[in-house]
Amino acid sequence: MLETDKLTKKFKDTLAVDDVSLELRKGESVGLLGPNGAGKSTAIAMISTLLKPSSGDVRLHGKSVLKDPGDMRRVLGVVPQKIALYEELSAYENLKFFGRLYGLSGKKLEQRIGYVLDLVGLADRKKELVKHYSGGMQRRVNLAAAMMHEPEVLIMDEPTVGIDPQSRNHLLETIRRLNREEGMTVLYTSHYMEEVEKLCDRVYIMDHGKVIAQGTKEKLKAILSDQETVWIEFDQSYPELFKKLSEIEGVQHADADERSLKLIIPKGMRLLASLFHEAERHGAQVTNVHVQTPTLEDVFLRLTGRTLRD
Amino acid sequence: MGAFLIKDIMLLLRDRYELIILLAMPFLLIAILGFSLRGIFSGDLEALEMDVALVSEDNEAQGIEAVQNNVDGMGLSQEAEQALKQLAESASPQTMLTSLLDSEEISGLVAIERMGREQAEENLEAQSVDAIIIVPDGFTQSALNNMLFGASGGAQLEVLAADGASPKSDVLVSILEEFVRTVNFESSISRLAGDRATVEISGGIETITAQKSMTSFQYYTVSMAVMFVLFVGSAVARQANLEQRQMVFERIRLSNRPPLLYLSSKAVAAAAIVFIQLSLLFGLSTLLFQTFAADSWDFWLGIALISVVLAVSVGCLAAFMVALTLRVESDAVPAIFSAGVISLMAFVGGSFVPLDGMPESIRTIGSWTPNGAALSAYFSWMLDPDVHQLSGPLARICMVCVLFLAAALALFPRKGGAA
Repeated sequence: MLETDKLTKKFKDTLAVDDVSLELRKGESVGLLGPNGAGKSTAIAMISTLLKPSSGDVRLHGKSVLKDPGDMRRVLGVVPQKIALYEELSAYENLKFFGRLYGLSGKKLEQRIGYVLDLVGLADRKKELVKHYSGGMQRRVNLAAAMMHEPEVLIMDEPTVGIDPQSRNHLLETIRRLNREEGMTVLYTSHYMEEVEKLCDRVYIMDHGKVIAQGTKEKLKAILSDQETVWIEFDQSYPELFKKLSEIEGVQHADADERSLKLIIPKGMRLLASLFHEAERHGAQVTNVHVQTPTLEDVFLRLTGRTLRD
Repeated sequence: MGAFLIKDIMLLLRDRYELIILLAMPFLLIAILGFSLRGIFSGDLEALEMDVALVSEDNEAQGIEAVQNNVDGMGLSQEAEQALKQLAESASPQTMLTSLLDSEEISGLVAIERMGREQAEENLEAQSVDAIIIVPDGFTQSALNNMLFGASGGAQLEVLAADGASPKSDVLVSILEEFVRTVNFESSISRLAGDRATVEISGGIETITAQKSMTSFQYYTVSMAVMFVLFVGSAVARQANLEQRQMVFERIRLSNRPPLLYLSSKAVAAAAIVFIQLSLLFGLSTLLFQTFAADSWDFWLGIALISVVLAVSVGCLAAFMVALTLRVESDAVPAIFSAGVISLMAFVGGSFVPLDGMPESIRTIGSWTPNGAALSAYFSWMLDPDVHQLSGPLARICMVCVLFLAAALALFPRKGGAA
């Protein structure tokens, strides 16, 4: 349905997006995962026809949209990272304005406003000014505005940044419902691994402007099928101990937090003896050890040597 | 277009800061300046009272006699001769002038004292009189010859005034010009055609252009209004910058509306807001200060015409500022405009003080600003409601509109495609 072909964007000397080829099939939910600065938003802007690529192409049903973006814009609903709304207008007034821009009027406009407000759960507060809403509510109106013209494809750029867990769950549930129940095609961009894992069938992982891995969640996790992730928690921070443990032979990747350490090791590796030996030498108390199957976060760590939050 | 217009007006109505700038501030200034400076403006007659010396170097009896002698030598019938001689005696121009100056209406404004020329000039020098009216030698004869026989030249009066007495002397000249018109009227009745009598002005007096005067409230209502409409330009540009920063502009682009619709909607919204703003300022000022209370529907139609042209020009200015703001992707453009450029335009346009005493270059620049040209049009209409007099300033505003529009179109980032 929608594809990009070797999409590239260069800003002066910076290569923001480098040779990115993506594909969205009708009705599927695709995640674009990567840390901040990976080039996700730039890629999204080009796919949305808001930014001209330096090279490459964006095609809808096999037809390039670069010269005539009209067809693409008609089927596209874009939820930008920023709250692209008028704060001094109410949710209802915002939706009415954007609906009229898409040619809706009269009863049809009112019906559509009612539908999207129900969808995001704000029907009873539609008359309040957007500036009086919480961050989460504003994000929900942001999604509603993108839905006014009944788009076939929903492109979302980090739609849950900076909102409370309750609003986040509401938003994720709404998106999941749109995809699973209404068959809407979704391209979901985030640096939150768990959101992408929860919502998406397929995932593209981006870093430094490039797609470094792609496939279904299972396929990506299979990259780490011969590995396992060990979480070790301590009573306090031990930087020297963490460094020593990271250097144990066989440890493939290590990610230290304040009082915990995550190690990716080959399956079957006998780590615990070394772990407790080193902990004792450093006078550290191990409070918890947890072995888990790999997540997309682990895949990213393995592929880039960095975490998504780096 | 309707959606944009409604949205822009709603946003403005909910922006208290902009409302204060656009409505409260000018109204406050109209009230303060109108009350505090009302003595300066000619509509307040007490400020124009003046002492004038009347010097007559004309021998009226001799002039009448000379004209009657001319009649004798013309070979007319006795009845015609008699009629012309009687007319010359009864239509004495000097007596008419004296009657005018002594009339209740004028004597309340101008205190006339008859004296010799030498004494009058000494008094003028000593500033004990504000001006001298000189009835020159042969005035009666010239006026009657012009009146009865259509002889060229006609009557002349001289007015001498001290430098710096311009507003008062302007009023005096106005009065004398009115007198001259009366003489011409009499003349036209008596011979149906002929040369006009003239008032010769000398002694460093400025030539007056206005036949009426205006009050301080009229002056400042108009001058503050034409100044504060400019803030609509920066308000609209500031809104465009906000739309760009918050990515609402991108959302509008995604709706696939022609990019120029956005720009034109900003211009139309600005023009509509300016017209509403002008209507409110003029209406409120009239309601509270009786600024234009006595004027007719024709007068208001003229004011509306000028307001529409001014509103369109500010719309074009707003389009230019929106295009520039979107091009540089910064709110510096509206900030600089509202912080400095508007004050400059208001100054050269005559919103702060009348430009009569300003250098010609400043007056010329001012006449090409939308506010300056509109101010000139409003004043011209208020003093003499003649549509032809509006053509100059309104044409200048239209030309400025074209320039703003051309600049806006050149600068506007036309991101209709994937760009």
